[in-house]
Parts: sequence; C-alpha cells; structure tokens
Amino acid sequence: PVSLHVLCSFSSCSSWLPQRVLLRGSHWQSSLLEFRTSLPVRAQPKKKKKVDVKKEQAQKERMKKKIKKLEKAAPELIPIEDFITPLKYSESNRVRSLPALSPEESERRVLLLKKWCLFKQKQDEAEKKAIKALVESQQEALKELRLESEELYQAAIRRDEGLFPFERDGPSYTPPLPGYDPPEGKCIDITKVYTQ
Amino acid sequence: DALLGCHRSYRSRPTHGIGKFKYLLPKEVPKRRKEKVQMKEISAGTEYQYGDVNIQMTSYDLCLVEHFAQYVHRLCNRLSIRVIESYAMPTKTNEVLFLEEKGSKMQLDAVLTTHQRIVQIRGLSSTFAPILLEVIQSSQPEGVHLLVKQHTEADFKSRLKSRPELEELLAQMS
Repeated sequence: PVSLHVLCSFSSCSSWLPQRVLLRGSHWQSSLLEFRTSLPVRAQPKKKKKVDVKKEQAQKERMKKKIKKLEKAAPELIPIEDFITPLKYSESNRVRSLPALSPEESERRVLLLKKWCLFKQKQDEAEKKAIKALVESQQEALKELRLESEELYQAAIRRDEGLFPFERDGPSYTPPLPGYDPPEGKCIDITKVYTQ
Repeated sequence: DALLGCHRSYRSRPTHGIGKFKYLLPKEVPKRRKEKVQMKEISAGTEYQYGDVNIQMTSYDLCLVEHFAQYVHRLCNRLSIRVIESYAMPTKTNEVLFLEEKGSKMQLDAVLTTHQRIVQIRGLSSTFAPILLEVIQSSQPEGVHLLVKQHTEADFKSRLKSRPELEELLAQMS
C-alpha cells in the first residue's frame, strides 16, 4: 500500500511537471504567465512613445504653418466672364465701313431720337408722379390710423419680417402653352470652377 | 548737438532752402497696392429700418439685366436710398441637351449663360419698402427674375474663390 501511494505521488509528480511544461506553450514564450501579458521590460517601448509624440507634434506644427501661410493670402473674387472680352474680337483688324447717310435719313433719325426722348421723359414724369402719389396716400393713411389708435400705428410702422425674401418672375412674351409635352432632356452645368 | 537741434530756416537769408532737391526729381506715382477683399460690415437695421438688402436680378439676356440693374441703381439714387455696392455675380453656363424622338442619343440644343446683377442697399425704411418693390415690379422686363433678400455672410462668401487646400488642412486639423 505504501508503494502504491508513492507510485501515485510519483505519477502525479510526473504528471505535474509535464503539465507545467506544456502550459509554457512554445519555447519562444519567455515567461510562465498567460499569452498576451509580459513582464514589464524597461528598454525599447517607452522610447518609441516619445519619438511618436515628437513626430506628431512636428507634423501638427508643420500643418499649422501651412495653414497660416495659406490664410495670409487674401481671398480673391471669382473673375466675371461678362467683363472680359474674348480675344477673338480684339485680334482681327477688320474695320467696318458704314455707308454715308442721306440728309433725309439723318433728319428722320434725329426726329425719331427727339420723339423717343420725349416719350421717355413722359414715362419718367409719370413714374415720379406715381411714387409721389403713393407716398402721400400712405402718409395720409398712417395719419388717420394714428388718430384712430396709437397701438395699431406703432405696429404698422414696424418693419415686416415676412417681406424678405421676395421673389418674382418677370412677365413673359408668350405664356406657357397648356398641354404642351416637352421632349425629354437634361441640363448640364459647365461653369468653370476657379480655385485659389 | 545744439547745431543739429536747430531747425530754423532763416527765410530772409539767400541760403534759404539750400539743401532741397526733391522738387527737381520727377514726380513718382504712389504704387497702388492690391486692395484686400474684405467683407464690409453687415448692418442688421433697426425696428423701423431694414439692414442690408440685396436686390438680385437674374436672366439669360446680358444687356437686359445690365440695363435693369443700372435703372434700379439710378432709381435708388433718385429716391435717396443709400446704395452700398452694385456688383455682378459670376456667370453660370448650362448646356441643354434633349432626347431625339427617333433615337437614344442626346442632342445638344443650346448653351445658355445665366447672368446675375446685385444692387445692395441700406437703410430702407419700413414704410417705403413696399412702394419701392411696387415700382421695381412695374418696370421689370421680360425674362428677368427678381429676388430681394437680406444680405448675409454666405452671400459674400459665394463671390470668393474656393480654397480646397486650406479646407483640407483645416479638416485634417480638427
């Protein structure tokens, strides 16, 4: 019976050792601890962190400098193509020669110009008169309102927040035809994009 | 030290103005520095006055919109409304394609250019605003689209060139 115990203990002992050895995993694993943990090594990793932080700081500073440089340059307005005459109109040297006008023709033109001036003057006068009439009637209405009630007058004087934005399409020569079936198509925006 | 400190010119003496020479040199025109494009302050206006208002006129026809903008500007001058600026927005070009009846190919119909002019005014009184709008509407020509709205910073920024590099860097930073 004692020998059996000893045998058992020996076997357990023998089983103990191999188990421990097995737990070690591969021979590359230097410690007996679990897989990912390792004893703190005081050589390489901290230096790496310092270098990283410095690099990052240097990068950030470089970016800040770049941003400052770009921001120093004042923003430019987009050039307007309307005001730039295309080169093809200034390259050619051809000159238009106008025919000589007969005296009747020039007389007719001068008289037409005078009639147009008169027409425009009448139009302008009518507009000025209309504006004046509108303003006067508005002032009168406000005066009457004031006599009626001070509160309403004050509310009327205030600015209207709902007025803006105000949109209106101009009148058209030909209104849209009812029941017109337009052909299918699409619009492509080919405006030139300017970048600074 | 006392000699240098003395700046009396002795006007009665014949040696007056003896060291002057700048009047002999040719007049140099002062070099015009490029004026930086800076946003003007946007006024909010009081209770009885509107702040900065933009009158925007858009059309496909350049001459028409140009003349209408001039007319509006002169009208505001005549009615003693303060005009801050009167400028043009960049032109937009659109290609219109339509589908042929027999066929699947898109055919080019026309190339349209949209022009926009803006007249910016300030200090429009609340009682006069509807009258002004009425007058402008009555003289609005065909094909010109009118839009009247408050001026904002975004409106000003839309006139400037875009800076993709700066925006990229700013996005990277934050």
